[in-house]
Amino acid sequence: MFELHIQRLVTDDAAGEAPAQTRERLKGSFPPGATRRMTTLGLLVGGALSKVDPGPQDALVYATGFAESCALEGFLDSFPNPSPTLFQTSIHPSAVQQSMIARQRPVGEFMPLSGGPLLAFHALRASLLSPSARTLLCGGEERGTWLLEHGLASDRTFAFAAMLSREPGEGSLGTLRVSRCEGTGALGLAALFDLLHSRAPHDAMIAPGARLQLTWR
Amino acid sequence: MADSASPVRIAACGCITPFGDARETHAALLGGACALRAVPVLGREGGDPVPLALMPGRSLDETAPPAWLPALRRLHASVPGGPWGSPGRPVFVTGSNFGVGGLYALRRTGDARFAVWGAPPTCTEELRLELGWGPDVSILSHACVSAHLGLLQAARAIESGLAEEALVFSFDFLSPFVAGGFHALKILNSEMPAPYRERAAGAIGLGDGAGFVVLSRGRGDWALSGLSLYNEMHHFTSNRADGSGFAACLEGVREAARGRSVWFKGHGTGTLDAGRMEIAAASLAFPGAPITGWKGGLGHTLGSCGIVELAVAIESMRQGRAPGTVGAGGAPMAPSVADGSFGTGAFDGVVCASNAFGGAHAAFLLSHV
Repeated sequence: MFELHIQRLVTDDAAGEAPAQTRERLKGSFPPGATRRMTTLGLLVGGALSKVDPGPQDALVYATGFAESCALEGFLDSFPNPSPTLFQTSIHPSAVQQSMIARQRPVGEFMPLSGGPLLAFHALRASLLSPSARTLLCGGEERGTWLLEHGLASDRTFAFAAMLSREPGEGSLGTLRVSRCEGTGALGLAALFDLLHSRAPHDAMIAPGARLQLTWR
Repeated sequence: MADSASPVRIAACGCITPFGDARETHAALLGGACALRAVPVLGREGGDPVPLALMPGRSLDETAPPAWLPALRRLHASVPGGPWGSPGRPVFVTGSNFGVGGLYALRRTGDARFAVWGAPPTCTEELRLELGWGPDVSILSHACVSAHLGLLQAARAIESGLAEEALVFSFDFLSPFVAGGFHALKILNSEMPAPYRERAAGAIGLGDGAGFVVLSRGRGDWALSGLSLYNEMHHFTSNRADGSGFAACLEGVREAARGRSVWFKGHGTGTLDAGRMEIAAASLAFPGAPITGWKGGLGHTLGSCGIVELAVAIESMRQGRAPGTVGAGGAPMAPSVADGSFGTGAFDGVVCASNAFGGAHAAFLLSHV
């Protein structure tokens, strides 16, 4: 059995919020001028990450299925004169890089994952396997437009960041236990977000052979 | 940051490039061959000619299903073991672009058949079904260090006892999306790349590439150790000018390489500042190590480069000779840059390094068990 303790948790459900509203709401979380070229996902993930205060020794695990859907859409629409800025910001790990670069925060280990129905399991496994004393698990999605029509973008906009440690500590908020077990199941990123956002307990299979027990204090 | 646990072994490793498999690619690079050709940056839609290395017979323009799929099937046919994607035998798929060429084609043509290959989760699911993998297929995508992340995750899964063996499968195939993006950044231009050589302006080439590694606890003649990562988070497309990011990453490999005589397979895309900084850091961390890079012949195979070049490095050690730095002319940036091929008999390890957007650095030590 592998176990990590949730020391800090930030969730942000942007739900039906327009990108301009998100930018206005979160611009105070970033250095002046930094948000001008940031994506919605960059703002949300970066805003959540800033509150768990990443340090250079932390491992950073980032989970997003579709990543920078709007930057991808914009980049594709910029052809035949492709935008260098949108090319940079459309890469998979961009949301985390936008905020970490804005704050000039180096980090040793950075694991950007993608995935589908097992993404929560894979992100938790990456967090559990990291030898770092603290792992920051973050993730999110942004709602796409025409990519969504093709099933290539999320239909929701949300982000979260959790500071996880091996030791429980006095102020821990909850515990994540992943153990080997017979059976099968799945847990996507949005479902993990909903559990974290609502502080809901969970005890179920999240992948073939893997059971998650999420408990809260 | 480097993992200090005991080395995991490479039970099998292979690659495909425009030259062929690992053995054929190694032979071509030893002969100084270059797979890069001037191709219009937007394929059939034209644009400036840029150096691209495409699989034989493949156009830059995407098809549905992708024209690169048969190449991946052939590569996968050489993967031993399995059943992959089952508990105890996870798959780690790594890449930078997956089927993003499908997105470009979808937007340009409106043909919905391109859609399913267009995003990492959907593309990987198609691949999983195509190659007969079970459900445990992770996806790691961190631009040009992606393959290193897959190797690190696979190694940890084995060391922790979660996996008996693990498959890391990596691929990147070019498209107008990718070529257009690098061309917009002006580092993909009409010039051929000349890694680790002084010239007036830097230039890169891009290449198709794919590879796999089967990692095991107790099977295989080669070991991976000192897997190291460092992320500067300084700038999206450039590194800290003092080269500290390169040094921080290689520091993680030094302990694993202590007491060994190593050569250095660098990232070496053909950009000038990064080339100079990489040479300086490698020379400091591994004094006397010859430095070589192969992207002048293969092009930069992006997210797959860490495994494609690992396969060539293994072939070099097997054959006893490593290709020198391949690429267009110019004076080497340092005497340690291997101009021509060199014997590997005097060495008992090779440090393999890759870099990526965001000042991301990754490296590991490959050695004989």
